[in-house]
Amino acid sequence: MIAPGDLLEKRVVLITGKGGVGRSTITAALSQVAQRAGKRVIVTEIGDGGDDYSALAQLYALRQLPREATEIAPGIQGAQLLPEVGVAQFLASVLRSSFLSRTALGFEPLRRLFMATPSFREMAVFFHLLTYLRAQHADGKPQHELILIDMPATGHTLALTALPQVILRLVPRGPVAEAMREGQSYLNDPKKAGAYVVTLPETLPISEALELLEGLAKTDVPCSGLFVNRVPETEFTEAERAALEAYIETQPLFGAEGFYRTVESRRAVERLHTATRLPTQHLPEVDLAGAALVARLADVLAGVS
Amino acid sequence: MEPNQQLLSDLVQTCRVIVCCGAGGVGKTTTAAALSIAAARRGRKVLVLTIDPSRRLAETLGVSRNPPEPVPLSDSWQYAAGIKPPGSLHAWMLDPKLVADESVRRFAGDPESARGILKNRIYQQATTMVAGLHEYTAMKALHRFIIEGAYDLVVLDTPPSRNALDFLDAPNRLAGFLDGAIFRMFVPTSTGFISRAATGLISRIVSAVFGQEFTDELAAFLQTFSQLFASLNTDLLDVRTRLSQPDAAFLLVTSPSEASVVEAHFFHERIVQLRLPFRGFILNRSHARPSDQVFPSAELLKDDATPALRSGIEKLKWLARKESLQGHRDRGLLADLALRAGTNSFAIALPSFRTGANDLSTLIEIAKLVVTERRSGPR
Repeated sequence: MIAPGDLLEKRVVLITGKGGVGRSTITAALSQVAQRAGKRVIVTEIGDGGDDYSALAQLYALRQLPREATEIAPGIQGAQLLPEVGVAQFLASVLRSSFLSRTALGFEPLRRLFMATPSFREMAVFFHLLTYLRAQHADGKPQHELILIDMPATGHTLALTALPQVILRLVPRGPVAEAMREGQSYLNDPKKAGAYVVTLPETLPISEALELLEGLAKTDVPCSGLFVNRVPETEFTEAERAALEAYIETQPLFGAEGFYRTVESRRAVERLHTATRLPTQHLPEVDLAGAALVARLADVLAGVS
Repeated sequence: MEPNQQLLSDLVQTCRVIVCCGAGGVGKTTTAAALSIAAARRGRKVLVLTIDPSRRLAETLGVSRNPPEPVPLSDSWQYAAGIKPPGSLHAWMLDPKLVADESVRRFAGDPESARGILKNRIYQQATTMVAGLHEYTAMKALHRFIIEGAYDLVVLDTPPSRNALDFLDAPNRLAGFLDGAIFRMFVPTSTGFISRAATGLISRIVSAVFGQEFTDELAAFLQTFSQLFASLNTDLLDVRTRLSQPDAAFLLVTSPSEASVVEAHFFHERIVQLRLPFRGFILNRSHARPSDQVFPSAELLKDDATPALRSGIEKLKWLARKESLQGHRDRGLLADLALRAGTNSFAIALPSFRTGANDLSTLIEIAKLVVTERRSGPR
């Protein structure tokens, strides 16, 4: 079981996993759990400034998350992490001369050069995240106690989590390096940050989740746990399973597919538990969608149900 | 034949390029592979390009992880799949780094300068970072195979990305890199109209941001790459034009959930806006197809049925009810997609398979569903 407390005590939580496993739904559910626990929580995802479809925003009845931190549900803030905003903030802080900074931003070809420089987009996203981490109230308390990030597809996740190491190898000194080191001080500290991998109780998704764990292990971002989503609730005893397996072969039955899924699910989950000792949280497969599903999963995560 | 089925059947028979789009996890790769098998069974020379598929699918198609060239499906598997000459199926799992390296060797002119580029640390970084490169790679590989014309049909399984259409934007993003003004100012060897003062200012900003060391390396990278990127960009624009032709087809794969279908609507709008030839929706892993299944019931059991079977059947009833409801719902989703598709595009449902559709026999089964064999007549 993932202790909700451990997760809520962190500053940054990355929710990752392959497409279609329910990342956004779980991110949204976690935001509710955090809000109920009285945390100042912000939900984020990486945007590109365009009018991209956002499955996460849909769960808050929005087409997209706002560009700046704004309340998107009672007690829950939301914002996109935007490369172009990151670049602007970064240049402003690096180029101490305001003339240079304005020149750099206002000069379209230069801006485009930055955006096209390998890894610069990721770096800008990273910087935008840093500004949310740094933001404080007048009393010195963080404005955003918990930042939830619904991460993009696996490859892109690793690109982002590996970024500080990569950049520091290329640019060991200077303002970029400083920003990366500051980021590392959060992201590589298991108390302050954690990546959670979402997967399904099926053969292939489990294999992919295990691969992702290996990848994450190489990037120094600690993996704090796994969510196994859509675990079938119906459980058959050993004897029932054997009897049904033989019976189902004799005629086409409604429910046969669901039966085989429970069998596969059991096997897949066992395999996962043999392969990793990380805390794992199962989430039930329920016949709900959208906001109702989010609310139900939040109950499960908070241990209410 | 049912009109939707007819449209898909014609498409597999006549199209030169099929692009399978859709959100992550909906089964794009499986669909691309099944369509390829269907076309090859019809006697076409087919290449399926896939990026980063699951290991098992790569194994299924007999594709090693990163082959330098497309590989044919083994003879015994082609036979098993019912592919006979002149039909054939090649598959290629793209490795972004490999495609980039190959482009460098092609355009560098001589091996010496090729080595220079391949050794540049920024280049190495750019090619190992996954983000962005997948899209270039897909476009680049498509270009090669479309222009070479060695295949009757190229099927592309689009790269995983939040926006399924990102790869189409590769030319635009590359254009950012190619902006002539930047090269003239930033690359010190170019001389001409830009004043020294402006060049100095740009250098100051760039080195303040990146530090001198990195700036020098970046300058070297940009210098060697200006030409390479210029040719790459022309290629990408070619592909873009090629993909707008009527013998190209964009298919949207979606899973049978409300959220996934809403997302498919969004992609559909995008494809239409981009004036690309949208041809159809595929509602994957659905229960929309009519079935001959019956409801589990204790009354159907023989008298000597064990208590375990009886209690198992009771639990199975719940799952059966859910599945049958899902069938109703999926038929609704399919009707909705069909309405959206209009008369010139199709919406068809593919069933969900127990094994997760990763072994060859399952792919062949789907291929048969996709394109009804002529000899067997309409379903």
